[in-house]
Amino acid sequence: MSESDVSTTGSPYAPHTPAETAAMLEALGVDDVEALFDVPDAVAFDGDFGIDARGERETRREAARLLRRNDDLTEFLGRGHYDHYVPSVVDDLSKRSEFLTSYTQYQPEIAQGFLQALFEYQSMLVELTGLGVANCSMYDAATALGEAATLSQRVRSVSGDRILVPEHLRDGKHAVLENYADGPDLSVESYPMDDGQADVAALAEMADEDVAMVYAETPSVRGVVAENLASVGDVTDDHDALFCLGSDPVALALLERPADVGADVVVGDAASLGIGTAYGFGLGMFVTREEYLRQVPGRLVGASEDANDRRAYTLTLQTREQHIRKERATSNICTNQAWVALRTAMHAAWLGPQGLVDLAEECVTRAEGLATRLDEVVGLQAPVHDGHHFREFVVRTDQPARAVVEDLAARGYAVHAVDEHLLQVCTTEVTADEEAAFVEAMAEVAR
Amino acid sequence: MKYDQARWTDDDDERYEPLLSEKANREVAVEDSPLPDDLTRDSLELPDPAEPELARHYTRLSQMNYGVESGPFPLGSCTMKYNPSFTEDISRRADAAVHPDRPDSTVQGTLALCHRLQDYLGRIGGMDAVTLQPPAGAAGEFTGIQIAKAYHQHNDDERSEVVIPDSAHGTNFATAAMAGYDVVELPSGEDGRVDIEALEAAVSEETAALMLTNPNTLGLFERDIEAIADVVHDAGGLLYYDGANLNALLGRARPGDMGFDVMHYNVHKTFATPHGGGGPGAGPVGVTEDLAGFLPDPHVRSKDGGFEYYTPDHSVGKVHGYYGNWPVLLKTFAYVTRLGDAGLIDASAKAVLNANYLAEQIPYEVPFGPFHHEFVASASPQDAADAAKRMLDHGVHPPTTKWPEIVDEALMTEPTEGESKRSLDQLAAAFEAVHGEDDETLASAPERTAAGRIDQVEAARTPRLSWQALDSET
Amino acid sequence: MSFDVPDDLRYLESHEWVRVDDATARVGITDFAQDELGDVVFVELPDDGEELTAGEEFGVVESIKAVSDVYAPVSGTVTAVNDALFDEPELVNEDPFGEGWMLEVELADAGELDDLLSPEEYGDQIA
Repeated sequence: MSESDVSTTGSPYAPHTPAETAAMLEALGVDDVEALFDVPDAVAFDGDFGIDARGERETRREAARLLRRNDDLTEFLGRGHYDHYVPSVVDDLSKRSEFLTSYTQYQPEIAQGFLQALFEYQSMLVELTGLGVANCSMYDAATALGEAATLSQRVRSVSGDRILVPEHLRDGKHAVLENYADGPDLSVESYPMDDGQADVAALAEMADEDVAMVYAETPSVRGVVAENLASVGDVTDDHDALFCLGSDPVALALLERPADVGADVVVGDAASLGIGTAYGFGLGMFVTREEYLRQVPGRLVGASEDANDRRAYTLTLQTREQHIRKERATSNICTNQAWVALRTAMHAAWLGPQGLVDLAEECVTRAEGLATRLDEVVGLQAPVHDGHHFREFVVRTDQPARAVVEDLAARGYAVHAVDEHLLQVCTTEVTADEEAAFVEAMAEVAR
Repeated sequence: MKYDQARWTDDDDERYEPLLSEKANREVAVEDSPLPDDLTRDSLELPDPAEPELARHYTRLSQMNYGVESGPFPLGSCTMKYNPSFTEDISRRADAAVHPDRPDSTVQGTLALCHRLQDYLGRIGGMDAVTLQPPAGAAGEFTGIQIAKAYHQHNDDERSEVVIPDSAHGTNFATAAMAGYDVVELPSGEDGRVDIEALEAAVSEETAALMLTNPNTLGLFERDIEAIADVVHDAGGLLYYDGANLNALLGRARPGDMGFDVMHYNVHKTFATPHGGGGPGAGPVGVTEDLAGFLPDPHVRSKDGGFEYYTPDHSVGKVHGYYGNWPVLLKTFAYVTRLGDAGLIDASAKAVLNANYLAEQIPYEVPFGPFHHEFVASASPQDAADAAKRMLDHGVHPPTTKWPEIVDEALMTEPTEGESKRSLDQLAAAFEAVHGEDDETLASAPERTAAGRIDQVEAARTPRLSWQALDSET
Repeated sequence: MSFDVPDDLRYLESHEWVRVDDATARVGITDFAQDELGDVVFVELPDDGEELTAGEEFGVVESIKAVSDVYAPVSGTVTAVNDALFDEPELVNEDPFGEGWMLEVELADAGELDDLLSPEEYGDQIA
């Protein structure tokens, strides 16, 4: 394939030689492939798209030309999307075409490899949460939360149409939840936070028999490790509602198990392992109690036996899903994030249990260490909230937060402005070597 | 034809077994952490392979898996075309790996690329505005139906029903229900297409939208599409295009020109982003000018030589926590840019040629036509699912089976443009071989795959969905 | 293929059967229904003491290819549930009119039985 003739020869990925095309047309008894299209003239398209074909190298150059306009910043950003170091072996193995170019495992006999990897992923989430059933992916944390809200409507022991969510919640997550809540007519209401923790007294005050689900996060969107989850669980229990907890696999390696604080569903972004920074590209984690098994959205991989009585894996309980149950399915999800789950499982296995716990501990010490150093800077107070932090924390700034963000960008750093005088700073092992220079830059812009 | 897939060896076999990762689990105590004990777990048990073991484990697993690069993959409705390698490299560019919370002004490259892709997709679909946010086809459907709902509500016109042909994808029904609509199922006409009289009977002032795939799941173009659009529009409803079969029509017909108001694109079908064993995909949604104000938040527009995000006036809000499946969108951009007009038009030509040629070569009857990029053959009197299992032994991926139900023992076959004549002839030989085999052979297939026929009933009666569930059994 | 349609039962069009013994009625799904579903993998039934209304769904039968609601042929209070089905759902396939029964109800209105199909009528329906 040469670079020069791309614009005239059609798709570079259709292998037909002119002679083969002619032979195929002859076999069909037509002169021209256009004769095979049964499109009435009235709706036929006779224009062009105006998209010039390019060679592979030229296409790469065009992508580079556009993306060059992205500023090269060191990002101290988190709030649900995190940068952990992904080892090369995860990239190499997950890119193997047998994984990357395969389809959903509807023919399990030739998809044992992917099925086993997804079974491993499900098993890891069961271990991390202490809950019995993990599906093999939703799109992202926000859509997983939306699915949890609709789950509450299918669980028999739960009635009501109020979904209570924390005041400190990512806007995007809230907005997605609102869309999922729209069909079943649920109302989403926020309960207050007290110094970064759920205000349990206020929550108890708000809760009544119409509450179907209470959502809490640990760490919170502000990076605060929740200290009263069991109390949130108790309030939820008192009203026969579902307790949905948001977290991620790195945090869960260290924090108390969701099952031990009474969580019924765990959601979150599992791509904190396996992906790294990717403009919000994620992996919706969805784990719940065994008793809700038949109400779970999405695909499930189960173990079974083959005709030779050997262990084999297969997608199972598919009658929950849209391709069989149509309008009564537990969700409309079809295409999911299976390949991301594969990467997450690989990354977790690469770290191993000690590596994962160590990484989680580093998320605590690194955040608290950076907060302490920033607190020493004139014009900054950090962390704003008491309590323990994971990866990130909120900083109060005497200067307007937006001005600080802009001044930092000019110095090559990105942080998030929470409101007029609050910033949020996130750090992981990936930004470790940049912390000292970042503190210096903060000192320059904060006074 | 001979085919053998890698497999784990038997327990009593002395051949080398790389690693069953569940056998390599290790439990570690969580103690002396920087958090107080009452906020931490006690221990964690996970696989703990060394990197060489990990590499062998997943390499062997990959050898027990079949992808587009393993052989023909004529899975109907799924468009399993070749996924160009170079798109992977573009999706992994370091300058594309930015955080979603950056200010617009610092990610002008990302916004420029999104703006370009929105424009390309709009041209291809004949749509006036396109959002890239939906992370999959079904998410695109949900976005589109929420847009239709918001549009009607904006006009103080509450509607309660969505009309869907009985041959449609299951996602259409599930999407309508998720958005709170009642589903009105439309029976197919005898020719396998929409029956205008049945449509007229189904449509009313309650109709929010008709969801339609064109060509439909039988590969047939809905020739009466203008009349269909009139019936729906006259009743005040909107016309939704399910883009699953767009690979049939590139450059021949555009949903926007056919009268559709909203559509989704399946980039993992039409635009060759890899299916990844079930995902990720992306499901951008295109709309006409009248609906542009309802697109998800935020949307990209150009401004003063640069680009910015804004919230459309009547936005339906968000369907993904951030901006959708960004790396997949990069691959889409790469594919569309590489092919351009000539490549995209040729892709459809070759996809349709391949489907027609293959149908001509196989011994099974194809009851409905003329079809485009896919056809539905009937395996009857054989069991389609059994025939499919036997095709695995012949080294090819089988068609989609037993759907759509309008064809008895359906073999829904979509070879895509990626197969050469030689490859199609080999694929046809696999159909031929299976066609000649007796029911007993089919029922005991497959034999040459990593696993023999898997007991689905046992899997569902005794759900074991984790190592922990397996452990608790023994 | 022919299916069992025992003479001593009454039927619903939706393929449930009822066997009356004084004021108690035993309910299950028919041989035809279990064959249509294929291998049953899961059965969901109401608890003892729940009230059933004739014509309304009271439970779910799931196979690997379909999920079906099961409808009450008669109204009344549930007095017994066949717990064996939770561990051995295959009893519905193996013995739909015997060990595969689903529940017993205390009849609220014996007159409702007249609205059900006779064995002949049901046999014609599935013929």
